[in-house]
Amino acid sequence: MGNFLRNVSRNKALLFMVLPGAIWFFFFSYLPLAGTIVAFKEYRVSRKGFWASIFNSEWVGWDNFKFLFSTEDAFVITRNTLLYNIAFIALGLVFSVLMAIILSELVSRKMSKIYQTGMFLPYFLSWVIVGYFVFSFLSMDRGLLNQMLGWFGMEPVQWYSDPKYWPYILVFVNLWKMVGYNSVVYLAAILGIDRSLYEAAMIDGANKWQQIRRITIPMLKPIITIMTLLAVGRIFYADFGLFYQVPRDSGTLYAVTNVIDTYVYRGLMTTGEIGMSAAAGLYQSVVGFTLVILANYAVRRIDKDSSLF
Amino acid sequence: MKKGKKRVSLAISMLAAFSLVLSACGGGGNEAASGGEGTAEKPVDLIWYTIGTPQKDVDKVMTEVSKYTAEKIGANVTMKMIDWGDYQQKMQVLVASGEPMDIIFTSSGGFDYVQNARKGAFMELDSLIDEYGKGIKDTINPAFLEGSKVDGHNYAIPANKELPQQEVWRFNKNVADEYGIKTEGIRTLNSLEPLLKTVKDKAPDITPFAMDKNYVPYVPYDYVIQNLPMAVKLDTTDYKIVNILETPEMKEALTTMNKYYKAGYVAPEAATTGSTTDLMTSGKWLLDRAQTQPLADNSWSASYGYPVVSTPASDAIITNNSVQGSMMAISANSEYPEKAMEFLNLLNTDPVLRNMVDSGIEGTHYNKTADNRVENLPEAKNYDMPSYSLGNNMLLYLNPNDPENKWDEFKTFNEAGVDSPILSFNFDPKNVSSELAAVQNVKEQFWSSLMTGTVDPKTYLPQAIEKFNQAGLEKVMAEAQTQLDAWKAENNK
Repeated sequence: MGNFLRNVSRNKALLFMVLPGAIWFFFFSYLPLAGTIVAFKEYRVSRKGFWASIFNSEWVGWDNFKFLFSTEDAFVITRNTLLYNIAFIALGLVFSVLMAIILSELVSRKMSKIYQTGMFLPYFLSWVIVGYFVFSFLSMDRGLLNQMLGWFGMEPVQWYSDPKYWPYILVFVNLWKMVGYNSVVYLAAILGIDRSLYEAAMIDGANKWQQIRRITIPMLKPIITIMTLLAVGRIFYADFGLFYQVPRDSGTLYAVTNVIDTYVYRGLMTTGEIGMSAAAGLYQSVVGFTLVILANYAVRRIDKDSSLF
Repeated sequence: MKKGKKRVSLAISMLAAFSLVLSACGGGGNEAASGGEGTAEKPVDLIWYTIGTPQKDVDKVMTEVSKYTAEKIGANVTMKMIDWGDYQQKMQVLVASGEPMDIIFTSSGGFDYVQNARKGAFMELDSLIDEYGKGIKDTINPAFLEGSKVDGHNYAIPANKELPQQEVWRFNKNVADEYGIKTEGIRTLNSLEPLLKTVKDKAPDITPFAMDKNYVPYVPYDYVIQNLPMAVKLDTTDYKIVNILETPEMKEALTTMNKYYKAGYVAPEAATTGSTTDLMTSGKWLLDRAQTQPLADNSWSASYGYPVVSTPASDAIITNNSVQGSMMAISANSEYPEKAMEFLNLLNTDPVLRNMVDSGIEGTHYNKTADNRVENLPEAKNYDMPSYSLGNNMLLYLNPNDPENKWDEFKTFNEAGVDSPILSFNFDPKNVSSELAAVQNVKEQFWSSLMTGTVDPKTYLPQAIEKFNQAGLEKVMAEAQTQLDAWKAENNK
């Protein structure tokens, strides 16, 4: 106990800085954990308020989870969620790092800032707006792409009813929106690299490419690992807006656009069973948690310093 | 190891203690209702949640309303409005978390009535109506109270308004006149073809058949759950639930729709279009299908700014959906259910209160021009309420353009309605909720593209039927049939 107090007083400045975040986590992440219980109940409203409703609702065991696995859609939504997220993580990483390096190598600081802001902007747009952007390109009769196809004498394409284009469209749109934000993180890391390393390399006669390969990328490795590990933890969560708004909820595209989150939304918006949506959320978190632990374990085996914990 | 276990159990017991404290807080206050409260001197406060874009002057009007109701029944009223698109979701959270409230707007579309009644969100009203709601029983068409029973009990007071629902073809009169289109003899989907063709050929920039992704061809069936393919034929004698996609009527309609789509009578992106507002604003459409009510042509023409006429596309049928179009329930956690019922009774029988809630304060928001006529003042834009959702419509004052016999026309319309065979049968999905979630997903996948004719039913219909069955539609239908048979036996149909 005495040890603990001494620790606290020695680190009080640091602990104080952690406090707001810790409080936030306590209220919005740890406290609601108790509500996970709803996933195993058939939630019914009780006169006596929220907690009484939870306690008085009937236990139903694993029944709430059944709808996730009951049809062949279970395979489709799991596959789509996983593959899209893997593509987003892998391509997002490549493009973000690439952009960060290019931005850091630009001589003109001013231009670099302009490009950075331009790339950053889409991140702040809501998916609904992005959905309309995309629609203005892909609309059947008024869309830019179909008009361009028309100039070349080609037949217009029914973009919103042909699934074969959508894996590419979705990956592209997601990269367009997310790369700017992530590259800023990497850019900050690059700017933090000790300049003397590059000076030494230049004296040894290393060219730009060699500097990037031998200094920048190795120095970025820890942050790359951390960012990727964090992304892996959310691999079972799909970005609802991307998969619902951008394809305009078009039924014929479901084979390539239906993911866990959209499936849950569509399945439950009429019945509104809180228990079932809680079950879906719990399932996603448990799988995400397991994957983070596994990935972290793997990273630790290879390079102990880069692992999260 | 031992230490770790101890910590966990400590954490759990702390959590339990914490939640007990919280539940104790939430539980209080229910018993303390009586004791001289609820009189003109010491009125109780009623909280009323309703649908619609929040209006600036709501609090101002409710202060006036409260003065009136405090004197009449000893209750003050606070109204909280939630915007159209948010209502369903926000109410679900508010109710589930036990937010204090007394009166809740509910309908088949916004904050689903039957489902929430079954979940325990609403108070059962049978005895309250008998005791405090006599005026309601005498005033509104009895079919409303009868048709909105869930498992034999009333959980909400329906607004007295148009009772049956009837589909019509609406025509943009400007376009119809310009191309010499005659609307006589039009009723079935097939009868539209020559009209659509004329406009398509002569005016390529006009959409002949306007529709959004919610369009479903009319077939003479009543759906057990709206927009799920289980339905009962309107002239049924055996009360058999069928898959609507397997009926000859729907097959024929879908083939026709596909023909229309291919011919370009329908907008190419109808299956993903959320609403036709843009088309209605631009006026570049010939016809669409809509639900009607008496004098609807007038109000459509007024809101679009150009003449709209309509001809029937179906009979006027009284269904669960039409009966449950606008209702007010008393929340299960209401502190003053008796007062809430007294208020609902007054709202549905007292023209002064009903019109105050609807149009605001006389002299500020409106002026009276005759005994039963009003005209809006400029301030009315700060208190523009959806009339249908606020109780008995037939008490409302008339607007300058309304004919004198407006509410008589409603009464005639209501009397002409025919009961659907499954009126007041409400399916309870409790035993099949996981199948229903899967079925719902299949519906979302196929429904719009089939119904708007975007895809060829020859290939897609069998696919859809197969996927529905894989998702468990047959099990849901069997469950619904069991419940319907039991209901039929109970009600001597």
